[in-house]
Amino acid sequence: MEVTKASYEEIWQKMEKNLETMENAVNKSIEGDGVFSPTGLTGGDAVKIKKYREAGKTLSGDLMMLGVQNAVGTNEVNAAMGVICATPTAGASGTIPGVLFAIKDTLKLTRKDQIHFLFTTALFGMVVANNACIAGAMGGCQAEVGSASAMAAAAAVEAAGGTPEQSAHAFSTALQNLLGLVCDPVAGLVEIPCVKRNAVGTANALVAADLALADVKNLIDADEVIEAMYRVGRRMPRELRETGLGGVAATPTGIAIRNKIFGKDK
Amino acid sequence: MNVYTIGRKGGLAMNVVMKEKKVVNYKSCFDVIGPVMIGPSSSHTAGALAIGVVANKLLQGLPKKVVVKYYESFAETHKGHGTDFAIIAGVLGFATDDSRVPNSIKIANSQGIDIAFVEEAGDSPAGHPNTADIYLENDQRSIRVVGISVGGGLIKVKHIEIDGFSLKLEGSLPILIAISEKLNLELELGRIFKTYNVEINDSQNLKKDGKYLYAYNLESKLSNEAHQELNNLKDIANIIIL
Repeated sequence: MEVTKASYEEIWQKMEKNLETMENAVNKSIEGDGVFSPTGLTGGDAVKIKKYREAGKTLSGDLMMLGVQNAVGTNEVNAAMGVICATPTAGASGTIPGVLFAIKDTLKLTRKDQIHFLFTTALFGMVVANNACIAGAMGGCQAEVGSASAMAAAAAVEAAGGTPEQSAHAFSTALQNLLGLVCDPVAGLVEIPCVKRNAVGTANALVAADLALADVKNLIDADEVIEAMYRVGRRMPRELRETGLGGVAATPTGIAIRNKIFGKDK
Repeated sequence: MNVYTIGRKGGLAMNVVMKEKKVVNYKSCFDVIGPVMIGPSSSHTAGALAIGVVANKLLQGLPKKVVVKYYESFAETHKGHGTDFAIIAGVLGFATDDSRVPNSIKIANSQGIDIAFVEEAGDSPAGHPNTADIYLENDQRSIRVVGISVGGGLIKVKHIEIDGFSLKLEGSLPILIAISEKLNLELELGRIFKTYNVEINDSQNLKKDGKYLYAYNLESKLSNEAHQELNNLKDIANIIIL
């Protein structure tokens, strides 16, 4: 309120608008055959996952796969240039809604609880953003999906009635597990591998939250993992920081996709 | 270019609260959860759009000509990340969630705006992988802005050229720029800052050809009342709030 000169109600409503944007994106992703990006590289998978879930034979359980579906769906909408809420980035926009919409029925979260969940993710995210970075071009995907996953894990623990200390353990576990993850978008698009990285960001957050709620501790504390993430990011070569020149972007198939979309010289 | 800085101590710094502290880039929850935006990338689309908006505010009108130079990650991925249409959307003054964003280049072309994108091979002059250098021109003026997109849609403005002035900045927003031929503008601004408790992190004063430019890095957004008072100075100064 001090920073934005807005009232309590205005701030609450703004976060509710963010929540509505997330809900709309998730709903859009499962309309008809799903949404598809202009390049056709990604799309339609959220619908496939939904059908698969409905058959009731998922290996990792319905809650987990509901989270994955919502994460993938959100990033499919993003790749299709639909409207999303950056959490903390557009490339990582599926991870946090993935977790929130997976646990909301099980934990019976009210609308107020869900908005509160987003404020909690935001505060953890501010610590990362102001002490390390949240841009793939600066720190790789660990700074984007890694940060989002850790933010979601911390908020999920709180929503489930865990202690603040357990939230911190969930946060550090989740970020530590994705340390070193590179940003290697094929053809410089936010499609491959970004969409599926969000599926893993959500799953990783749920695992980290469950570990913390089981009172499993993470010996390296959250502040130190954030610092480690920053240092790892600064040592990443530029090929692996959102240039589309390394990782899966530099595989024969990745290069072939790039050439097909943008022509050989670019 | 004949530009020099008037020392901070001799000017406004005496009248307002100055403090030594770490500049926190992400000041609000909504810098992290948000913006609501058209994809696909917060840094390369929403952030790029925000740099375009800075250019739009500096020019204060539609350009006839736009030249955008990209560095590093922006140079490599601007096509895939939609950076081109995002910057032009910003130059046209669109918001991040405006449905016209993906069609901005077509819209600009239909208004006769000449657009060029240049991929620079060298390192960013601003020392950041997501750097865009935007030049705008119309019959009234030309401006240049070098912005960096630091992640999650947030930007910093590192360099501005306007009305013959050239200034380097730390770059965190909000930034208030005031240009006037009247020296007493500084007193007026100081009064408004004091009245509305506007916290200044840093300030710069430049003088050139009988004109004064004041640039202030603000700790937080201006209240509506402070905004209104600044607007009342329109007759004696060109006030730009980034």
